[in-house]
Amino acid sequence: MIVLNPAHGGTDSGARGQNGVMEKDLVLQMARGVKAELERQGFRVVMTRNDDSNPSYDDRAAMANGYRDAIFISLHIASTGTPGSVRAYYDQLSTPYTPPAESSSATGAASKVVAAPASSGLNLWNDAQRAHLNASHRLADLIQIELAQKFSGTADTSVGAAIRGLRSVAAPAVAVELSSVSSSDPNALANAAAVPLGDAIGRAITAFRAVTPGGAKQ
Amino acid sequence: MTRNWKIFIVVLAVGVAIGLVSFRSLHRRMKRLAQTEVTEEQARHELLAPQVSTPTDAPVKATIFWAGGPDSLAPVGIELPLSADPAQRSRQLLHALIADPPTPDQRTLPADTEVLGFYILPDGTAIADFSDALSTETPSGILSERMAVDSIIGTLENNVAGLRRLKILIHGQEVDTLAGHIDLTGFFDLNSPTQRTAPPAAKTASSSPQRAAPPKASPASVVSAAH
Repeated sequence: MIVLNPAHGGTDSGARGQNGVMEKDLVLQMARGVKAELERQGFRVVMTRNDDSNPSYDDRAAMANGYRDAIFISLHIASTGTPGSVRAYYDQLSTPYTPPAESSSATGAASKVVAAPASSGLNLWNDAQRAHLNASHRLADLIQIELAQKFSGTADTSVGAAIRGLRSVAAPAVAVELSSVSSSDPNALANAAAVPLGDAIGRAITAFRAVTPGGAKQ
Repeated sequence: MTRNWKIFIVVLAVGVAIGLVSFRSLHRRMKRLAQTEVTEEQARHELLAPQVSTPTDAPVKATIFWAGGPDSLAPVGIELPLSADPAQRSRQLLHALIADPPTPDQRTLPADTEVLGFYILPDGTAIADFSDALSTETPSGILSERMAVDSIIGTLENNVAGLRRLKILIHGQEVDTLAGHIDLTGFFDLNSPTQRTAPPAAKTASSSPQRAAPPKASPASVVSAAH
């Protein structure tokens, strides 16, 4: 199951362009096009919102966490960036605070990712993405490779960032952001991007499932 | 035409004339008010801008990370009078990052942003406290928010030794996100090159951050603060 998340909604308008253009509206319209393209490729797709509502980060994550084999794709339209370019992001969880006595050995790269308490056997809701970081990174790379072929000015490597909307998702999760609401005609840009975006995401997920044992699961 | 109609037309004409005059006057007054607001904002900003330099500051070649293009950061070498105290030095660097971008297009943090405080704990944890403008005026989006945070991280880790990680506060409070996307509830690692991601368009040479030689290590066992 692919869980498509059109970001923002309701009172959260997201990025704002000229003439009152709002990310929340554009991204919903774009998500509908992406969903149609993914369904055409044979995927089952649900959306976290299909109107001007604004589910919380946790509600959106809960929708993905309710499926055993979900892949979470969060769609965004940026305020800035080269118009028409697209970036795929995987979550790069920021470091939880550890008191000095415990953190003395945590230096450099190792300090970035701190394992969740292993003895409890529980997945912390706010840390649910941690167990899926590698899969999310792999999926983001595959999506970015496809995006680079379809959108000019698009880099061919995905990027890690501490993205709040991905943190609680217990499944491979990627945010895809199109630039931008500041382009000359953002409505046309979002409409034109929907089908190639859906195609790129669908192809990447097919490749991801082929190389990931157990499909979306790790 | 009856007498009543004539009176009605005259009254209507007078009303329209008064309305037009009032509208022009109102328009002029609104323009004046808008200009006054800008002036007040500038005056307030100048008045509240912190004094970040001290008499003992020495001119140092610093590397500041501003935007190198619409999707990337680029290091810029500038000479700044910087304190030897790491907290004060960090504050001065962040002030330069906010106040002195070479061009408006290179700005990564809103011009109204103020550094309200900068603290360093004994374990190298840095805490930067910014004014509300950082959160309310940074354009919403993963790219713009990430460039804002990365410009802070890159500037600190290339010019201040002994910092291990950074916590960003807004007006003394922990907030969920910078402007709707980038998570500010955790800590960002500093001085760990493998953790700081390259700018999105890192294919071009100009967008790839170059690391300046870090300054001499300073004792991180001293709690220092600048506010």
